[in-house]
Amino acid sequence: MPGSPQHLIDGEIAELRRFGYTPFGDAAPDWAGMWQLLQGDFATLQRSHVLDYAELSPWPQEGARIYMRRRLLADRLFEECQVLYRRLHGEGINTELVEAYTLAREAYEDAVLDFGRAREMLEEVFTRTVDV
Amino acid sequence: MRTFKTYDKGDVLPDDYRKALINLMCFQADSEYAGGQRVAENHRYATRPEEAYRLSKKVFEEMGHAFYVWNLLQELGVDVDARLYELSHNPENPDPKKVNVINGFRKENWSKFFECWEDVALFSTVVTPAAVAFLGQYRECSYLPWARVNVRIHKEEYGHLAFGVWASKRCIEFGGEKTREFMQQRIPKFMQMGLGFYGRPSDGDKKSEMFDIYYEYGIKVKKPEELQAEYLELLDSRLKEVGLIMPTDVEADYDMRMGYEAAHPLAA
Repeated sequence: MPGSPQHLIDGEIAELRRFGYTPFGDAAPDWAGMWQLLQGDFATLQRSHVLDYAELSPWPQEGARIYMRRRLLADRLFEECQVLYRRLHGEGINTELVEAYTLAREAYEDAVLDFGRAREMLEEVFTRTVDV
Repeated sequence: MRTFKTYDKGDVLPDDYRKALINLMCFQADSEYAGGQRVAENHRYATRPEEAYRLSKKVFEEMGHAFYVWNLLQELGVDVDARLYELSHNPENPDPKKVNVINGFRKENWSKFFECWEDVALFSTVVTPAAVAFLGQYRECSYLPWARVNVRIHKEEYGHLAFGVWASKRCIEFGGEKTREFMQQRIPKFMQMGLGFYGRPSDGDKKSEMFDIYYEYGIKVKKPEELQAEYLELLDSRLKEVGLIMPTDVEADYDMRMGYEAAHPLAA
């Protein structure tokens, strides 16, 4: 429904899905599938082709898994923000929910920045594995 | 150093002061929320995962700023849930009789500025310094509860500026000199909005009717000229960091602002 608070969240989810966001569930992570949506971020002018997950040697594969785990953690904290966003719209604005929402989005911020640091770590691994 | 009477939570506020305060606070809160909605619409331009995640974080933060200020407005007797309802249920065209959104954050104006991810990066690099300067003044305003939440908001606005610098640098890192030149040409349209953010000069024929009242009450603590100087200093330093140059002949677009200058505060 376009004119509802959920519409904004649905849009956010749809955009993050382009990069592999999946809602919380019991299924084991599909590392290869997830990597397919993320590997493009490691393409550079010098490295136009980034290997598929199964083709990576153990060293960068471990780095890739850590990178993707960071992303999964960010996804869970993104969901925390969603829950509080919906509660603020449904129950009305009050100090308890406003501050809870602050905690959630600060935790999400940390997770997103950790995801970025993991990307830099993996980038470094790719650079070094070329040299060994 | 200017001095003015300050008020804290629970203090009795003079009627005229209260009206002026509520007008500015509503404008900030409503505009922050609408700003979050507009940022969310820009998500489609994100070309890389980290960019998309950082942008979603920004959406939640802009909404959080609105919630901080609305929470205070509730204590001043404003029906903030009605404002939230109007904005969340009519995101593309909220009723100006019910909410007070900065013109630049109304969808019909905002969407004209964005065509690509470079525009999204530039907005946070070029316009956000204006918000940092403008909203930063409220940290020292005469209504202390609002001053305190603006300390929190200001910190996050600085984070949004850092996002802009990071995103702009990444664009150039991947796109090279061609992208740098492309972005350089797009700075003026955003700088027009940034220059108009803090309103018309405090003197002259076109001065805001309301500015003197806000300034007298210590609700606004800096003149537009002072904020402009802060903005330009901040903008210049960030553009240099990215490897871009600040244009010198850009005129302010005051029409993207409006509302802060509303002569008659809207019904709260």
